[in-house]
This record gives sequence, C-alpha cells and structure tokens, in this order.
Amino acid sequence: MLSFVLRRLGQSSVLVLIMSILVFVGMYVVSDPVAVLASDDFTEEDRIALASELGVDRPLIVQYFSFLSNVVRGDFGTSFVYNEPVLPLIVERLPATLEVAFLAIAIGLCIGVPLGIYSGLNRKKKTTKTISLLTTVGYSIPNFWQALLLILVFAVWLKVLPASGRGDTTTLFGIELSFFNLDGLRHMLLPAINLAIYKICMQTRLARSGTQEVMFQDYMTFARAKGIPRPRLIRRHLMRNILIPIVTITGLELGGLIAFSTVTETVFNWPGIGKLLLDSIHNADRPVVVAYLILIVMMFVVINFVVDVLYALLDPRIRYT
Amino acid sequence: MKKTFTTLAAVAAVALGGAAQADVLRMAYSSAPRSVDPYPFGGATTAGYKEHIYEALVGHDDQPLLSTGWTWNSPTSLTVQLREGVKFHNGEPFTARDVVYSACRMMFKIDDKRNLLTSSMGPLTDVVAEGDHAVRFETKNPYPLWIQKMKFLSILSASGGSVPDGPITYDATGDCGITAYPTRDDFENGDAAVGTGPFKHVSFAKEFAVMERNDDYWGEASKWEGVEISSVSNSGARFAGLLAGDYDLIENPTSEDITALDGNDDFDFSSKPAWRTMFVVLDVNAEGAPGVSAADGSAPLANAKVRHAMSLAINRDAITDRLFGGNAAPANQYSPSYRAGAPEMPALEYDADKAKALLAEAGYPDGFTLQFNAPSDRYPNGTRVAQALAQYWSRIGITVELNTQPWSVFAKARKAREMGAFFYGWGHPQGPAQMISFAFATRDKDLGLGSSNYSNYSSEAFDAAIKAWAVETDAAKADEHVGNAMRAAMADMPGIPVYYTHSLWAHRADLTVDGRQDERTSAFMVSYK
Repeated sequence: MLSFVLRRLGQSSVLVLIMSILVFVGMYVVSDPVAVLASDDFTEEDRIALASELGVDRPLIVQYFSFLSNVVRGDFGTSFVYNEPVLPLIVERLPATLEVAFLAIAIGLCIGVPLGIYSGLNRKKKTTKTISLLTTVGYSIPNFWQALLLILVFAVWLKVLPASGRGDTTTLFGIELSFFNLDGLRHMLLPAINLAIYKICMQTRLARSGTQEVMFQDYMTFARAKGIPRPRLIRRHLMRNILIPIVTITGLELGGLIAFSTVTETVFNWPGIGKLLLDSIHNADRPVVVAYLILIVMMFVVINFVVDVLYALLDPRIRYT
Repeated sequence: MKKTFTTLAAVAAVALGGAAQADVLRMAYSSAPRSVDPYPFGGATTAGYKEHIYEALVGHDDQPLLSTGWTWNSPTSLTVQLREGVKFHNGEPFTARDVVYSACRMMFKIDDKRNLLTSSMGPLTDVVAEGDHAVRFETKNPYPLWIQKMKFLSILSASGGSVPDGPITYDATGDCGITAYPTRDDFENGDAAVGTGPFKHVSFAKEFAVMERNDDYWGEASKWEGVEISSVSNSGARFAGLLAGDYDLIENPTSEDITALDGNDDFDFSSKPAWRTMFVVLDVNAEGAPGVSAADGSAPLANAKVRHAMSLAINRDAITDRLFGGNAAPANQYSPSYRAGAPEMPALEYDADKAKALLAEAGYPDGFTLQFNAPSDRYPNGTRVAQALAQYWSRIGITVELNTQPWSVFAKARKAREMGAFFYGWGHPQGPAQMISFAFATRDKDLGLGSSNYSNYSSEAFDAAIKAWAVETDAAKADEHVGNAMRAAMADMPGIPVYYTHSLWAHRADLTVDGRQDERTSAFMVSYK
C-alpha cells in the first residue's frame, strides 16, 4: 500500500509540473496583464513601472523559475488583479463550490441509483420507458439553457426561490456555509438542481445497466434459488456489485463539479471558484489561473486515490501492493 | 389545481422570507467592486461603489463637492477652499489635514505596488495645508487637468492609531511620516472605511456589499435607509434576478432585455447619454499597417482620403437606431458632443457613392484588403457593430476580414501594436482633451503625451493645440485649444468616430432613475416615483 501511495505521489508531481508549464506558457502567449490593467491614460513610463512591479517584464523562463521556487516555499504568488495572495483568494471561495457540488452529487445518487435499479428490475414497464426517455432529455439539455429555464420557472414565475447569489451564511469553524441556514439553502437549491439533473440521468443509466448485467449472473440465480428474500437480495447482492462503476464515476464527477462548474456558478452568480477561474482568465490574472489549476490537479489525484481505496473496500478481490 | 398551485407558491414565498424591505435599495452591478480602499483600483464599478462612502474635493459633475471653490496662484499652484462643517462617519471634522493625508495615501505603494487608479495622477509635487480649510496643490509643470483629477482623490479621515498627531507633511513617496497605513482587512471590516459620504460601510465581500445611511451627512441625507450592491457579471442572471425580485435595479441590461420589458408594467428601463465614444482606430503609418494591404504595395490607411471614404461609408443613424433601438447617438467627433468643453462640430455624412468616388480618387478604385479587429466581450453589441462596419466597407469595395477576440487577447495585440484597424471605446471622465491628448498626440515620453496613440498619428497643428491646452488654466481659452485640436484631428481622421454610448438601467417601475454620464451606478440617482 505504501509503495502504491508513493508511486502515485511521484506521478502526480510530474503531472503538476507539466501542467504548470503549459498554463504558464499558454497565459503568456495569449494575454498581457499590463495591457489589461493599465488604463488608456497611463503614460509610457507608468506602463513600464507597472510591468516591473508585476514582474512580467522579465523573460518568461525567469518568471517561471521564480514562480517555482516560491511554490516550493508555499507561496503561489499574488494576484495581478486583486493584489492579494492567490491561495487565500481561492480557498475562501472553495466552501461555496464544495457545498453545491456535494449537494448535487447527493441528489444525483439519491434519485439516480434507486431509479436505475428500478428500471433495471422492471425492464418492460411503462414507467421504465418514461424514465429512460427523461434521462435522454436530461442528458441532452445544454447546462446554461437549463439553468436559465430553472430561474425562469422557480424564480421569475413561481417566485419560490431566489434567482442568484449566495444568501445568508452560517459560520462554522471559521468557514462560511449555506447548509445550515434556511436562506442559504434556498439560494443553493437551484444551482444544485441544475448540476444534479445531469448526474441523476447518468446515475440512473449506470445503475440500470449494472442491474441488468448483475441480475443474470449465476450467483444471483443461485441466491434467488436459495430463497433469499428480494429486499435482501437487492441490498446485499445487487447493490454491492453495481457500486464499483458508480463509485468511479461519482469520484470523477465530483472532481469535475468542483473544478469546472463555471457555467452554473456564472449563471447563478454563485461566488465559487469556477467563477473566479473564468474572471481570472478574462483579466489575464495568471497567478490565479496557474494556482487554481495546480490545486485542481492535486484534487483529482486525491479523489482518484480515494476511489481506489474504496474499490478495495467494495471488492475484496482488489489489493494494492 | 393551477390556482391552488399558484396560491401555494405565493404562501411559500412569503413563508420562506422572500418579501422585500421597502427602504433598502438593492442594486446589481455588472462587475464586482475590487476593494473598499478607494485607491488601488479604478474601474466604473469600484468607483461607483466607493462614492457612496467617500467623497472628493470635486464631484462627478466637475463641480465643487468637499470644496467651495479654487483659485490658481500660478499655472503650477492651485489653492482649494474646503467646505466647512463636514464630519466624517467617525464624528471627526473634515479639515485640510485629511486632504494631505489622503494625498499621501494615494501616492503610497502598498507591497511596492502602485495604485492603479492614481499612478497617472500627474506631476504633483506638494500638498500643503493652509490653515484648517484651505489646501494648496503644487505641480512640477502647469497642470490644469488637476481640477478633473481631484475627482479621484477620495478623502479619508486622518485619524486612528497609525497617524501621528499634528500636521502631516506631504512627500511624493507617500511616506509622510505615517508609520502604517490601514491594510486591506482594515478597510474590508470597516475600521478604515471612514469617509464623509452619504452612506456608511456595513459589510463587504467581493460579490456583495452592504451600506447604511449616514444620518449626519452634511448635505441632504438619502431617502434610502440602506444600499445593497450585488455583483452579477452574467447579463442573463442579472436580468432574471431583477424579474425575480432579488434586485430593485440592475445596470447594463442588454438590448434584448430592453425589448423584453416592452409591455411589462412591473419593470421599466432608463437611459442616459454617457461620456464614451466608440470609434475605429486606424494605423496611419506611411510604411503600412499590420493586416492592411493594397495590390500596389502602398499603405492605404496613410492616405487621409481613404480614411474619410471609410467614414462616409458608415450609416451611423442605422447603427444607433437598428442595433441600439435609439439608445446610442451618432458620433461626430472623438469626444461626445454633449461633454462640457467639446467643440461644436458638424454631423458626419453618410454617402456610399461619394465614399466610392473618394476611394477611387485616392488611388484605390478596386479597394484594398483590411483586417478589422474588435473585442468580442467588451462593449454592448460590439460584435454586431463590428459586423455592420465590415459590411459598410465591403460595399465601397474594401475587402474586410473581421477578427473578433476576447478582451484579454485583444488588449495584448493592441499593446503590441499588431492591429492596423480596430474598434475601441474611450470614456471621458476628465474631459474631451484628455482623451485626444493620449490617443492622437505625437508620442513623447517626457511630456507623457500620446502613450495610447495606436494610430501612429502625428500632426503639428494638433500637437501645438494640445500643448497649449495642457498648460492653460483659463477654462474658456483651454476649450478653444481643445476645439482647435479636435478640428485638426477630425480633418485628418486618424480614427473614425462611430457612436456615443448610452448607459442603461433596468429597474422596478415604481422607481425613477436620474442616470449619470460617467457610467457609474449609485443610490443617489434612484428615488421612488
């Protein structure tokens, strides 16, 4: 297990290094922070001084190595735009994104998996066909359009939920959370549903195909023949065996939700990190973009690791040595 | 059933606390104010936000605000009389010492980074308190523009632990004997957010700011008990938030939003001509311009006739009527004609036949090839206007290749001078001459002129007029120089003015909005009908 962890760590640091070079060069080629920050009534002298204060007047390679040596010391740099250290800037927005992501995943699992198992068990029923149709629709709707539709229905017509923003938060261990607060929950619901719809459809399909496959396995026939009652059959024998793909996908999707729920965060004006990423790319704020993507790579590494550990727990045949 | 559902929804809405408080104005900005500290950042939303809390010696309308008037002692020395009886939010009286302190803070570099807003504040050499209610500003060169620049000198209270007692002596590094300036946190938690403005700081997070009325305000107190500013960068979300009742007023609704409000009794929109000119910058370099080529290898844009032909080809009325529904005005010079100090100029003609003839006369009967660049995400309807312009020019025989790109990419190419023709907008908060002096004066590092002259334009008549303006403290004479400079530039047309933008606000129908021309949104301009 230890060598497995070490190998993973080694691979991920190489990954992070390659990624940081790509982003660094990419941002450098595409945009110039001085051009974005300096207003038109800056004199030539002001512009040169600004470039040197930002440190972008040095050759790219020098900038990159000074960045690297700072990262090693835990300093990810200072945002060009906000003039604040980058790490706190990202971290203070992380809870907002995590909350919505977890809520969306929870909704997806709680609705998607039961629906999928039901569909898998009752293949010929009309309800199954309806579910199958709905998941196809849910899969195909563009995310931003669906978000606007949700706002239109729940916020503008019915006026039951707010259209955007985060609302009141409760501070818990120094972290601002919306979960424990009615107003916060109301604000969280629409973005979470918007993210969850796709997840529900995916989990339904995953659970259905898994169920169909597992139900015809010999051990299931045997279990049935042995006279195991249906609820226990589903819980103990079916569920456990369809969980592996579901856990894999949930892990990946969770990472995806945290890293790239940019569209949803923008449309609902949810102050999370996705929105920060978009704004930072727009403003040529390279330190934020680089730090953000490095953190995201690390997060995926951790999630994949957790998924691997979960495999071993779910399936005793899997061992890491 | 349907009715029950609606009733249920209504009950739920009330029960869940969706009801609005009547006397708190909830506004949605189109981008987030960057800080409570008035100095590090410029930009319309940061400025619009901070004006609720801080005031300057000169107001946004160029009139005295925390001052009562000023006199020029010499072209390099200005004495400003301060308003008496003004108190800060912390109860301290406003005096000349606060002005000196604020000027020091303006010049001071936090973490060795200049204040973006104030780094171009001109050749200020000294700020001296003359008694409690007058301040003298000294500059290196004659600097009449200082009157306009004082709008950006937000006045902070010179109180608190880090400010030593007694008079403060200004120096250009902003050090001024002050041991420590308030930090970002001090501003954000409100300790240092002490101004004289009509509202007091309550809380600030980047996407949400809350303020309450300053009941001891020296002027007329606001009708609003409080103000909440949300920042919603996505225009669809902003508009949906308005319709859903999350906000009372939003800035910068799109043309589609305005159309959608047609026949809606609950919401309305307001429009105000703004100080921004949208124009096409043409690189007049005689050696040719990037992305522009003619069959004979010459430089078409270096020929004034070609530039006039391109202007003649544009139907400005069609652009303002069709694309903006009348919420924009045809331009006839580089500064909005309604901006104080702008000269009277004739309207720009539209005549495609004449344009064709002029192009032939210039030696390009078969046109030439032009790459035309525009930012895709910067200006309302910007891409559509760029498409329209491209079509107008193709009609007179120019082969136009339209290239739209995101602002950050566009800005880099512009700075690197890689674009021979591009679409651009310039605001004029400091008057008409200020813009043309940066955009069209011959580049001169020592005088700080022409740093944004992407046209590579150079004209003796224009430079002479601008240099005369730059040192003229008499307002009427200064306007005359501006007029001369403007006429010189318009005759040569190194850029083609297209239209003046309007600022737009969508809001609840029971509100009136008396909008501002400097593209900022504030609670002062909103009242109940």
